[in-house]
Amino acid sequence: MQLNREALTRAYRQMKLIREFEERLHEEIQTGEIAGFTHLYCGQEAVAVGVCEHLSERDKIVSTHRGHGHCLAKGCDVEGMMKEIWGSQEGLCNGKGGSMHIADIDKGMLGANGIVGAGAPIAVGAALSNKIDGPDENGRLAVSIAFSGDGACNQGTTFEAMNLAVVTKAPAIFVFENNHYSEHTGDAYAVGTSNDIASRAEAFGMKVWRASGVDFFSVYDCMREVLEFVRTPGNGPAAVEFDTERFFGHFEGDPQRYRGKGELDRLRAERDCIKIFRASVTGAKLLEDADLDAIDANALAAIEKAVEESRKAPRPTAENVLENVYISY
Amino acid sequence: MAKLMYRDAIRNTIFQEMQRDERVVVLGEDVVGGMGTAGGPEAIGGIWSTSVGLYEAFGPDRVIDTPISESAIMGAAGGLALAGKRPVAEIMFADFLGVCMDQLWNQIAKFRYMFGGKSICPAVIRMPAGAGYNAAAQHSQMISQFVTNMPGLKVVMPATPADACGLLRQAIRDDDPVVFLEHKFLYAMSGEVPDDPDYCIPFGHARLARAGEDVTIVASGMMVGYAETAADDLAHDGIGCDVIDLRTTSPLDEEAILDSVEVTGRLVIVDEAPPRCNLATDIAALVAGKAFASLKAPVEMVTAPHTPVPFARELEGAYLPSPVKVAAAVRKTLAY
Amino acid sequence: MSRIRAFTMPKWGIEMTEGTIAEWMVKEGDSFKRGDTLCLIETAKITNEVEAEYDATVRRIVVAGGEDAEPVGALLAVFDDGSHSDADIAAFVEGFKPAEGGLAQGAGKAKKEPEPEPTIAAPAEVEKRRIKIDTNRPISPEALRLAEEEGVDIAAIEGSGRNGRITHQDVVRALRGPASPRLRGTLAVEEDDLAVLASPLARRIAAMNGIALAGVTGTGARGRISKADVIALMPEPGGGAGVGMPEFRPGENRPEVIPFDRVRKVVAQRLSAAKQEIPHFYLRTSARVDALLEMRKTANLVLGCKASVNDWLVKASAMALTRHPEVNVQVHGQEIHRFPQADVSIAVASPKGLVTPVVRQANRMRIDQLAAETRRLIDKAQGKGLSMEDMEGGTFSVSNLGMFGIENFDAIINPPQGAILAVGTAARVPVETEGGIAFETRISFTLSVDHRAIDGAAGAQFLATLKDLIENPEGMFA
Repeated sequence: MQLNREALTRAYRQMKLIREFEERLHEEIQTGEIAGFTHLYCGQEAVAVGVCEHLSERDKIVSTHRGHGHCLAKGCDVEGMMKEIWGSQEGLCNGKGGSMHIADIDKGMLGANGIVGAGAPIAVGAALSNKIDGPDENGRLAVSIAFSGDGACNQGTTFEAMNLAVVTKAPAIFVFENNHYSEHTGDAYAVGTSNDIASRAEAFGMKVWRASGVDFFSVYDCMREVLEFVRTPGNGPAAVEFDTERFFGHFEGDPQRYRGKGELDRLRAERDCIKIFRASVTGAKLLEDADLDAIDANALAAIEKAVEESRKAPRPTAENVLENVYISY
Repeated sequence: MAKLMYRDAIRNTIFQEMQRDERVVVLGEDVVGGMGTAGGPEAIGGIWSTSVGLYEAFGPDRVIDTPISESAIMGAAGGLALAGKRPVAEIMFADFLGVCMDQLWNQIAKFRYMFGGKSICPAVIRMPAGAGYNAAAQHSQMISQFVTNMPGLKVVMPATPADACGLLRQAIRDDDPVVFLEHKFLYAMSGEVPDDPDYCIPFGHARLARAGEDVTIVASGMMVGYAETAADDLAHDGIGCDVIDLRTTSPLDEEAILDSVEVTGRLVIVDEAPPRCNLATDIAALVAGKAFASLKAPVEMVTAPHTPVPFARELEGAYLPSPVKVAAAVRKTLAY
Repeated sequence: MSRIRAFTMPKWGIEMTEGTIAEWMVKEGDSFKRGDTLCLIETAKITNEVEAEYDATVRRIVVAGGEDAEPVGALLAVFDDGSHSDADIAAFVEGFKPAEGGLAQGAGKAKKEPEPEPTIAAPAEVEKRRIKIDTNRPISPEALRLAEEEGVDIAAIEGSGRNGRITHQDVVRALRGPASPRLRGTLAVEEDDLAVLASPLARRIAAMNGIALAGVTGTGARGRISKADVIALMPEPGGGAGVGMPEFRPGENRPEVIPFDRVRKVVAQRLSAAKQEIPHFYLRTSARVDALLEMRKTANLVLGCKASVNDWLVKASAMALTRHPEVNVQVHGQEIHRFPQADVSIAVASPKGLVTPVVRQANRMRIDQLAAETRRLIDKAQGKGLSMEDMEGGTFSVSNLGMFGIENFDAIINPPQGAILAVGTAARVPVETEGGIAFETRISFTLSVDHRAIDGAAGAQFLATLKDLIENPEGMFA
């Protein structure tokens, strides 16, 4: 653990912000106020934050349908995101994208994605762009990260993207978050390599890592190694598989009849990355409970404000339908 | 002006744009050709010879030879464009759109809209399309009807070497994603091409290839030549045709079509795609809706039949529109 | 065993309501052949021979000659192939009902009945008379209704619907017949200039009116100059009018001056002389061409050629000319030059105007040879041009405007020839048969004759031979 107090505080706040964001959406969606399909990231916060805490705005990420965590971790504005999910004209995408298409190109967030497996080729394209731009003054390359789950690891696009990255030595990182459910199907069934996604990436000829995804420090330390490798010009891509958990259903409204008895309670008790983080930092006397409680209150207030602002935010009008299809037509 | 083949006009334009703008990169299967072989890089230079010499001039970072992975090519083009580059991707045969449809249709075309206008995706997707080489059902199709239907894309169908140059340069400099449908059968066509290194043809500006007051013929891509041949034959019988080369099917130069039909009152549309929901039906609907009172006869459409593209020479000949079929349609609309 | 057939009072022309048998040329028990004269029928206007349309035997004459007038559609006689019993025939006569809606309906066999008291009919309800069409071809109900109401021969229609189904529009098209729109022709393409973006029509209008487009602000899509932008720059058509339609003011109607070229000079001089000096008279007839069209198909297949209908007409004319050499003449001052072989000039539209190359000794050519020769001449006329040699001489001309839908016309004689045949379009026309209506294809002809050299009777006999050859085209292979 080489993180200073400030870095730890920021990491915890990011994880907590994601957690409160998603828990609040879970409540709000049940009232019917929010339209459409929403896929919540609760339970996987350590991965998004553990990865993105290493990144700068030069680095790109491409996310998934379960993208709120990646967006927040990469620095997207909380209020802008909340307003987008509310469908407001002031949302990050002017109400045109919604939950599954949040993006902030300036922050290096190239978009959540409604199509499972579609992100990896795009991330490789961004990695090729990084490669063309070349290393910075410290001789390090910017990277591009494709977040994928145990669902996307079965898509041909992911395979094509991994091979193309290897062939072109693109500085891409394939982050596989194995939350053990592709929609409503278990990885024991759907992933033919017996729960082992990293071995697939390895077979494509790239270096791989495996780590726990519920422990922030495990993710963070692993990613330091991965990034050290990929940022070095000439090394090409890498892949990493994180073992993590999904606390909600595939989508909001999913009755989750596939879960085992007491499974969710057990996960929340034993595999909650936020509880694990708190235990680690307080046990090691790096942060006090009072510090963390203050962060909790702060995150909760930020979400409360975002929801309030979203409720008040202006709605798009029919004329807006025609905007933003083209720059000029 | 220099006399160039259609393929060379394309290759030269890419070359000049890569020289002018470092952000322009090329990717696709065998665009270098020979990678990993005894022959070495540039053993091929692209199967259509539209990327000869690019690798030598610009190197592997900007001329990216990819494995056979259309989804990865299309997706990488999208990623490169989002990340600030100006990719020119080649899908070796337009028919392969089938394997990478998602990356074009759900991703590239929609980024800007989904992201609320906060991104640009200046990708050019070059797709050699069309029949004429007896390449049968999976290597001969005209796919203009699919891509024209996709909001967010611009669709270009050059009919001459000069247009291939001026439209491709515009496509590369354009900030929106562009599908550039090169007709395979036109690659060897020769013609005068302007030397101006900034020669751009604006999109949505149709070309009047022949002028006449009796019948309007609307065509695109290889069909333009067929329409011109038919119009020249008909001119011997005193029948004058406006031949409108659409150049781009998205955006569509509605004005040029409607203006012409207002004068002639008779419309023949030539489309290499099968007859349902294609450009011909689209333009017929446009004219029915906006120039109904001008029409003196039912709109005639000369299209491929509702079949896959067949293989045998006789069958492919029967499948494709032809100058004779176009002339017959013109006479039919005049005989009404 | 063929069916028993009724022979009924025909209807000639729209006004005929009744007719009288003047004389039977056949009697009961006679067998006759197609084309034999059956009887003479008098109407208020004419007396006409009625020819048999098929081979048969006369089984019963119902109305004898010289009796009172019978209404159209009344049963006059009964024919069959001789195989039915007398009882069958009697039953047929007894059971005969005139065609529905026909004038003979309800009239029975006998005399005129007093007109029924006119009743006040309910308005409308006037059903259009339909001719039932039995067909197993796919046709939409609306299309069938229209075809039946208008008596359209659907056999001649190519269905444009799915699987060749005949659509309403197809029938409308057939009813309209081939149009001959006034063609306006080609225009010069105004060169596009991408520096000053303008729509094609805007550029054309600007060029026609001498309007410079540089500096004009376009209001079209993407700032392009539209038609409206250019029209706005055209001189104001005088104030006043106010709102609504601008006042119509004719602009300058300046003609394009086209001097006569060499060919046109010759044509003008010759035709003026011909029309002024030759006392033309005109003979008109028409011929049924169904057999010819059939023969053409077969012959083209057998001989592997592409002879046009016009080629056949040239061939028939040439053969008729050799049988009537008094028509196969040239007129030179006070002399008639009569030729043994028919050199037929054909009128051809060429880029340079009307030209008349000569098919030499057309009477001696087989149809495939003739077709090849006319093809050669037409290609030459439309290509690099005909030589004087190709056009010199000629003993007779054929001019065909049928392809333009012209029904018939009078041609000017091509001097020094003595006559010219003007050919109209082939038209499907309905003809009444017993019990119904059939369609046949006819072409009408007008022979223009130089009365100085050829008399009316000679011209008429030539036309009769021509008609016979056309209607019985196997004669052309004799």
